[in-house]
Amino acid sequence: MDVLIVLMFTTPMALAALGEMIGQKAGVINIGVEGTMLTGAFFAMMAAHATGNPWVGLIAGTSAGLLVTLLGGWFSVKLGADQVVVGTAINLLALGLTSYLFRSKFGTSGQLLSLPGLPNWNRIDAVILFLLAGVPMAVWALQKTRFGLALRAAGEYPKALEASGFSVAKVRLVAVAISGILGGLAGAYLSLGVAQSFAENMTSGRGFIAIAMVTFGRWRPSMVFGACLLVGFLDALQYRFQSLGFDVPFQLAIAMPYVVALLVLALVGKGTVAPSALARPYSKE
Amino acid sequence: MMKPVRMLPLLALVFAFGCSGGDKTPTETTGSTAAKSNLKVALLTPGPVSDSGWNAMAYKGLQEIQKELGAEVNNQEALDAKIKDAARTYAQQGYKLIFGHGFEYNKPFMEIGKDFPDTIFVSSSGSETGANVGAFRFYLEQGFYLAGMMGAKMSKTGTLAMVGGDEVPSIKSTFTAFKAGAEAAKPGIKVIQVFTGSGQDVAKAKQATLDAISQGADFVIHQANAAAQGVFDACKEKGVYAFGANADQNDNPSGAVIASAISRGESAFVEVAKQVEGGTFRGGVALMGMDKGVIDFIINPKMADKVPADLKSLIEETKAKIVKGELTVPKDEF
Repeated sequence: MDVLIVLMFTTPMALAALGEMIGQKAGVINIGVEGTMLTGAFFAMMAAHATGNPWVGLIAGTSAGLLVTLLGGWFSVKLGADQVVVGTAINLLALGLTSYLFRSKFGTSGQLLSLPGLPNWNRIDAVILFLLAGVPMAVWALQKTRFGLALRAAGEYPKALEASGFSVAKVRLVAVAISGILGGLAGAYLSLGVAQSFAENMTSGRGFIAIAMVTFGRWRPSMVFGACLLVGFLDALQYRFQSLGFDVPFQLAIAMPYVVALLVLALVGKGTVAPSALARPYSKE
Repeated sequence: MMKPVRMLPLLALVFAFGCSGGDKTPTETTGSTAAKSNLKVALLTPGPVSDSGWNAMAYKGLQEIQKELGAEVNNQEALDAKIKDAARTYAQQGYKLIFGHGFEYNKPFMEIGKDFPDTIFVSSSGSETGANVGAFRFYLEQGFYLAGMMGAKMSKTGTLAMVGGDEVPSIKSTFTAFKAGAEAAKPGIKVIQVFTGSGQDVAKAKQATLDAISQGADFVIHQANAAAQGVFDACKEKGVYAFGANADQNDNPSGAVIASAISRGESAFVEVAKQVEGGTFRGGVALMGMDKGVIDFIINPKMADKVPADLKSLIEETKAKIVKGELTVPKDEF
């Protein structure tokens, strides 16, 4: 099995999971990452389709992902809305908006699109390199920098952060923005880098899997990345499993990566390591 | 906590766009060419009608009904628990004819049909029928059988592949026919079958196809609906051939499609609508195959030089046999 193929197909999920992890570290759970990815995938496709330039598409998709995530972030951080409700709203909004725009541009009965891909060397392209560099960078930034400390404090004990002169809302919004950028890039890469096409709802639950990967990776960048690779590898394996023609229902094969992930989590995931203030709105006293 | 009123702008946005995936707004009759009729026709599809394939075909049929009969039409996506809800709502709103585009609509229609004896329910595939409940059966298996023959005869590796999205009986049945066609042309040929679980996940369709190709497949047929581009692009990348399905996909930009097994289902929808309007609809299962001109298998004219002449004539002969009823292509009953 080709390791580079596994890496390429895992990259969207891994990028989204890293972004989601950073948001969660700051205490914001972004259920809307599926919507962020879909928005990113759609606007990346639109821009690349219009200009013929995948780089423009990548930038457009990332920006669109950032915008839609900030919209949700505004509600959950500034206005203290329930983060699960806001995230669900963002998912519905993204699905409806992208489907509506897709149909108004390409006709109600749709088109199978073929988009310009990213220049790559043996499947390794700029986004994959960015991901490979991004994991150690995230480790370093979270552990060794002042901002990383502030970000973790926003998720663990926001009162202490405020007492030391930071604005919890600002720190959280920056974390949400980072998660939006990574989620948007994940979607853009899904449509431009991996599929080189677009279909309504093409993310098909990857965002939700990314959220699960954060828990599976115990909120640590390297482990989240490792979890994504494991699930990606098992996912590739199950296609091989299916095509070997074993008389097993294909639903079982498709579920296999997640069953294994659950088993691993049950074995290694003892104790709570989730940020204590996760999903709790913070308001100044 | 946040005051509910602050959620309003977000809620408004969600309602503005969140529901548009279902196309609930009635499509106004615009054509002045056809006489206005009182007929109201609704269509339920299992997936987005923008898939250039299975669902798009039904939507085209609905548009034809609007154009030819001047009927008022409406459509939405409805699956699982939503099927009965959507069908009941349409029936209560006075829709005379309700299509459900898949076998999964057959049973719910049987139940609801009893409550609305004046409404006619027709599902695409399915075997149960009643006085006001009928079904089409698109015999796409015939096209898949020919594709299997062609792939088997032309394959250099002796391996073919079938990549499906959702594993539903109608899709499995076409795959069975593809295998039978391949087996008839070249006994003992290897046919790989993979499902991704989604007719919209382009990336997964591509990954599954790449994996099948890495195991030697050099002809790939799909039932991936909107995700089909992933199959075609993987074939293009690896320099192998693909078959189009449902719609004529020979002109796909990938240039990998050598032939398509197509369903011109539009005409079937119009036919039923005419029967309903004329009061001649009698229920039952209508088998729509090559003999009615609904199913066909078309070799890509731009790639016709790649197909050996004796294979072309074999395909034509087999087609003629199917039309005459001398050859019955296997199909599952569901």
